[in-house]
Amino acid sequence: MKRWFALAIAVLALVGGASAAAAQAKDTLVVALVSHAPTLDPHMHFERVGILVNINMFDSLLHKNAKLAYEPSLATSWKTLNDTTWEFKLRKGVKFHNGDVMTAEDVKFSFDRVLEPGKEKKKSPQYGNIRAIKEVRIVDADTIHLITDKPFPLLLERLVFFPIVPKKHIEKVGDEAFGTTATVGTGPWKFVEWKRDQHIRLEAFDGHWRGKPAFKNLIIRNIPEVATQIAEIKTGGVDLIRNVSADLVPELKSHPQTYVSSAPILRVHYVELDMREAPFDKKLVRQAANYAIDKQAIIQKLMGGLGQQVATVVQPAAFGFEPEVKPFPYDPKKARELLAQAGYPNGVDVTLHSGFVEFRPVFEAITQMLTEVGIRVNARMWDPGPAWNKFLQAEGKATNGYYGSWGNYSVFDADAVLHPLYHTEPGGWIGKWYTRVEGLDKLIDEARSTLNQPQRKRAYSQIQKLIREEAPGVFLWTQYDTLAISKRVEYAARGDEWLWLFDARPKR
Amino acid sequence: MSPFLVRRLVRLMVVILGVSLVTFAILHASGDPVSLIMPEAPESDRAMLRHALGLHDPLPVQFARFVGNTVMGNFGKSFFHHGQSASGLVLERMPTTLLLTVLSMALALMVALPVGIYSAVRRGRAVDQLATGTVFLGQSMPVFWTGIMLILLFGVQWRVLPVSGWDSWAAVLLPTATLSTFTAPLLLRIVRSSMLEVIGLDYVRTARAKGVSESLVIWRHALKNAALPLVTVTGLQFGLLLGGAVITETVFAVPGVGRLIVSAIRQLDFPVVQAGVFMLAMIVVSVNFLVDVLYLYLNPQIRIR
Repeated sequence: MKRWFALAIAVLALVGGASAAAAQAKDTLVVALVSHAPTLDPHMHFERVGILVNINMFDSLLHKNAKLAYEPSLATSWKTLNDTTWEFKLRKGVKFHNGDVMTAEDVKFSFDRVLEPGKEKKKSPQYGNIRAIKEVRIVDADTIHLITDKPFPLLLERLVFFPIVPKKHIEKVGDEAFGTTATVGTGPWKFVEWKRDQHIRLEAFDGHWRGKPAFKNLIIRNIPEVATQIAEIKTGGVDLIRNVSADLVPELKSHPQTYVSSAPILRVHYVELDMREAPFDKKLVRQAANYAIDKQAIIQKLMGGLGQQVATVVQPAAFGFEPEVKPFPYDPKKARELLAQAGYPNGVDVTLHSGFVEFRPVFEAITQMLTEVGIRVNARMWDPGPAWNKFLQAEGKATNGYYGSWGNYSVFDADAVLHPLYHTEPGGWIGKWYTRVEGLDKLIDEARSTLNQPQRKRAYSQIQKLIREEAPGVFLWTQYDTLAISKRVEYAARGDEWLWLFDARPKR
Repeated sequence: MSPFLVRRLVRLMVVILGVSLVTFAILHASGDPVSLIMPEAPESDRAMLRHALGLHDPLPVQFARFVGNTVMGNFGKSFFHHGQSASGLVLERMPTTLLLTVLSMALALMVALPVGIYSAVRRGRAVDQLATGTVFLGQSMPVFWTGIMLILLFGVQWRVLPVSGWDSWAAVLLPTATLSTFTAPLLLRIVRSSMLEVIGLDYVRTARAKGVSESLVIWRHALKNAALPLVTVTGLQFGLLLGGAVITETVFAVPGVGRLIVSAIRQLDFPVVQAGVFMLAMIVVSVNFLVDVLYLYLNPQIRIR
């Protein structure tokens, strides 16, 4: 029996050895993602997993370095000429992967492709990001002007991921082929092949203006199951995996082949409260809910320490953050007092919904802590699809509040979280149903309609003081992005969740 | 065509209509794809998209359109993989899933037949006991768990097979083995019990008494009659295997239909889910139809009934 077993293993080793045992070649970097975007065309999807691939094949006008400061990319300099006109000087002699030289025509083409001026229905899902741009004007071969319909302080943020694509090439091959088999950019790696549901293979582009990346081959594998990703990184099948959950961090930290790198990201967790209905129409109840949550305990015990408590939904990394505003401390006694003062000495029953399945234990802890101070929660957890259905189609009326997170679209500006969450105009997101804070809309509008940064900062400071007092939601923490990386690769997690692999180096 | 086959064909049609109604209903009850496609977008943008996708129409209208299109073999365009037809996406991945399923079924039969027969013939002996134990174990393990255990053992601990993927024959081994542990135990049990039943019958004893060699008695005389329940169960199991492939493909990152359906469900990509489920159902129904036909060959008595 034993002999048979040994023989079986030997046979398996022969069959499998070729692909399994062979560690990745030195100049190859393999990244695992849970899925691939439906297209490689950087303007025609809205997927984080797609952006992560696109940024390594394309350049935008601006770039952010690892410290998240703006850096020149395809634009070498930029300035505002007046409140609505921005001037960009283009880098000279930048080559596309097919050898064509990038021109101002390509830049204009890229914007017009998404803006589709004059068309009612826009085909790019990214239209909303740059809809403020009214016109793209070519001034001369190396200069373009972007003209916005009104002052648009977020413009530079939006341009960090706005890839410039080759006009002539796309007109020749068509949109379809450009997104699947003939993808051409100016970025560090060029397209080789895309095997659906398996991998995207890229190769270093010799003519890239920054120079050649450290890894010649970049392979982005599609592995949906986290347990499989973990097994792959432990055996050297992949070099980098994302979104490592708190419970897996210790194991991957101590594994001889891997290390863990994490960074706080622009994703803030909150419970949005329905201010239209009792009991959260009362300020004291909303404040009580904020006092009731032991945020530190949840961060330490349930999130492996990978979180940072915040005072409101505006995060330290965002423009407009006001450090003077302090987080609500954990004070269950005070919470009970406030609740009694608000007219609920015996507590009150509420319903909270969430579609944030990855954070189910956290949601359960939050509802438990609220229940302990007398805000007795009937918690309902949904899959994201049904959750949105319940929540959005019923205008949020199915529930008294909603536990979720907001990723700012990776825009480092207070507006990117305040407007969707708290502004009540129809264009706003859940704020239009839930939030009723007097004067808040006006302040948000004021801050987004000027380019005068000190003035904006003052407005945001005022807003944060106001919402800390009015508590339209329960303010929680910012999440971390956690990567597990093979020890043969040197790389660090970034605050914008990008995988900017040009910065990756082989160790030693 | 025999009335038996006609009846089966009619049943086939009913099943197909039922499958399409059920997939349509369940999906539409489960959520709003537009909210999922653009979760953080303003309502005005959503309304536009809803209109473009035809989701603003009342459900009966959408269902009528769905059935009409299905008859024409048109499941519409994927919401997520824009520009691509849902049936194209499914067909592109179908060979992978069929290969995985057929290989698993073959492996399962390769194990179940000889072991099942052997344990029936040598009833109560060590091999029989071991087989019964393994059956018990195999049936109690969920595919998902088996898959991960096999990965840990062969991929991580011994490093003899690739952890996941589908780009070499070595990579095919683990998913196939995983999927066959799902079905082999049941087949083994069926083979064993029906063999036990048959080898006690008079005609087997007669054959033995005539001096026919033991292997001929077992493989020729006994097995043909014992195979009837096995054929039934194999047909049924094929459907279950396709279902199991959904999980196996996800665990092993196999680019098949099952995995496409799983991600389409998450994205509420109605056309892809409908096309995928429909085509898999078609395969299951056709296999069962084939089983019915095979019956006619194996047991001519059915024709009379």
